Amino acid sequence: MPPTGEPLHVVGLTKRFGSVTAVKDLSFEVSPGRVTGFLGPNGSGKTTTLRCLLGLVTPTSGSAHIGSAPYRALPDPTRMVGAALEASGFHPARTARNHLRVIATAAGLDARRVDASLETVGLTTAAGRKVGGFSLGMRQRLALAAALLGDPGALLLDEPANGLDPEGIAWLRTFLRALAAEGRTVLVSSHVLSEVRQTVDDVVIISRGELVHAGTLADLEKTATSHTTVRSPSTEALAAALRESAPHASVDPAGEGALSVLGLSPAEVGHVAFTRGIEVHELSSSAGDLERVFLELTASGNPGGAL
Amino acid sequence: MTGNLLHLVRAEWLKASTTKLLWIMVLGALGFTALNVVALILVAPEASAALLDIDALQSPEYLTSVLASASSASLFVLLLGIIAMTGEYRHMTITSTFLAAPRRGRVVLAKGVTYAVMGAAIAVISVAWCTLVAFAVLIGREHAPITAGMVGSILFGVALGLAIYAVVGVSVGALIKNQVAAIVIAILWVMLVEPLLSVFVSGIGKWLPGGALNAAMNVTTQADLTAADVLPVWGGALLLLAYAVVFATVASLTTVRRDIT
Repeated sequence: MPPTGEPLHVVGLTKRFGSVTAVKDLSFEVSPGRVTGFLGPNGSGKTTTLRCLLGLVTPTSGSAHIGSAPYRALPDPTRMVGAALEASGFHPARTARNHLRVIATAAGLDARRVDASLETVGLTTAAGRKVGGFSLGMRQRLALAAALLGDPGALLLDEPANGLDPEGIAWLRTFLRALAAEGRTVLVSSHVLSEVRQTVDDVVIISRGELVHAGTLADLEKTATSHTTVRSPSTEALAAALRESAPHASVDPAGEGALSVLGLSPAEVGHVAFTRGIEVHELSSSAGDLERVFLELTASGNPGGAL
Repeated sequence: MTGNLLHLVRAEWLKASTTKLLWIMVLGALGFTALNVVALILVAPEASAALLDIDALQSPEYLTSVLASASSASLFVLLLGIIAMTGEYRHMTITSTFLAAPRRGRVVLAKGVTYAVMGAAIAVISVAWCTLVAFAVLIGREHAPITAGMVGSILFGVALGLAIYAVVGVSVGALIKNQVAAIVIAILWVMLVEPLLSVFVSGIGKWLPGGALNAAMNVTTQADLTAADVLPVWGGALLLLAYAVVFATVASLTTVRRDIT
């Protein structure tokens, strides 16, 4: 029976390093049983927030709790929270298995968890090799294995897809979905929305240390300005029909036989075409749309602002 | 239960035994102490014989001081403690260390306990090694017998002194997290600053860490010019321990508490 995850509560979190404010009055919640994407450009405060949640960085004000307590007050932190923070925290001359044995011993965990975690992340054959010779992808897997040692109910992963090959990313996606399905809390940071789009249920987006959006991915997709590409043998007729039925949409030619429609979903464009009896060859909404919304959100410097 | 001191001590031993540092320091200590033994047997007696018209090798006191070369493992023990502590910051393993044991003071305490045991173990090995080397070099020479009593008279002191000195190393490492800076400062202090202070400020020598170490080890080495002016063994041991505790406490309240970024 896998452990149920505690929710994460970040309330009014502010962290200043000297004169630099890394995180400013940040509040959000992360629910168990879901994968939450923690998104923002590099340097937006994601890592600082994660480190506050893990008791490695002391907040200037506000709080970052696991369930109802800060990490340092948890009775058995490694069994409640697993964290993979960065790929650099290894002694290069120590083997992967010994790295995990050190952590398991310090935390008082069952030694068998070491080989189990290595197997979960697919590092069994490399377990006896020195970490100094590992690729970035292998280090990421080892960091993930360390996070899994205590079979924790909550996982905090900082850019876990960095350095993974496409196969690894696909594996990670399935793995994280399975963990959330077991009722665990999964928080995954990334600076690229498209990277986690197929993995996450919820998103928390920050920019310059401040919250710009928190909610479900589905809501964000709905909020996103629909940007549809449509191919048709009769683009002129279709363009006219679209402008007539949806004056707010902007319709532009996008190469020969194609239109770029801003402000309408593929379904809406398809509906207009269908009612007018116009032949349609392709109807798509690319991932670039959401990515563009993400970029607009994080570049606007307009916290909490509407789109 | 997290923060269990026994778990943390076992983890520290695992850290030490899964990298080469400990073995390099042990080898360094053995090499350096052997060099001292050889030099004291081959070179020094010739000089003293010419000067004092006695054969030093016939003197049990002189031979005891030869075996006491084991105490010169101290620099390696100090560096072992420093590198073990600062290495956590250098390789950023401090992140997973503090995730597994969020009560940071306990981590420093566990390191202190672990390296105290290692310091004592290195002392015992060094004394045995120096005795062995002395026997080997003395073959074919006229000398006073090397007795178990001689070995016994230095063993406890060297073990006590090096155990505490290793803790001083860990504390200094916790205080000065930058590995290179900590090593340079420690070597400069031991080799230059403390000897100069001891010579130029009369009476201060026995109150400094090196003086306290010599008192705790209770050995008279031939190189020791201020041997006459030392604290009693218990005084030296307590003073040295006080240095370790003060450094560790100051570190726990300052550097160890800082954000791990």
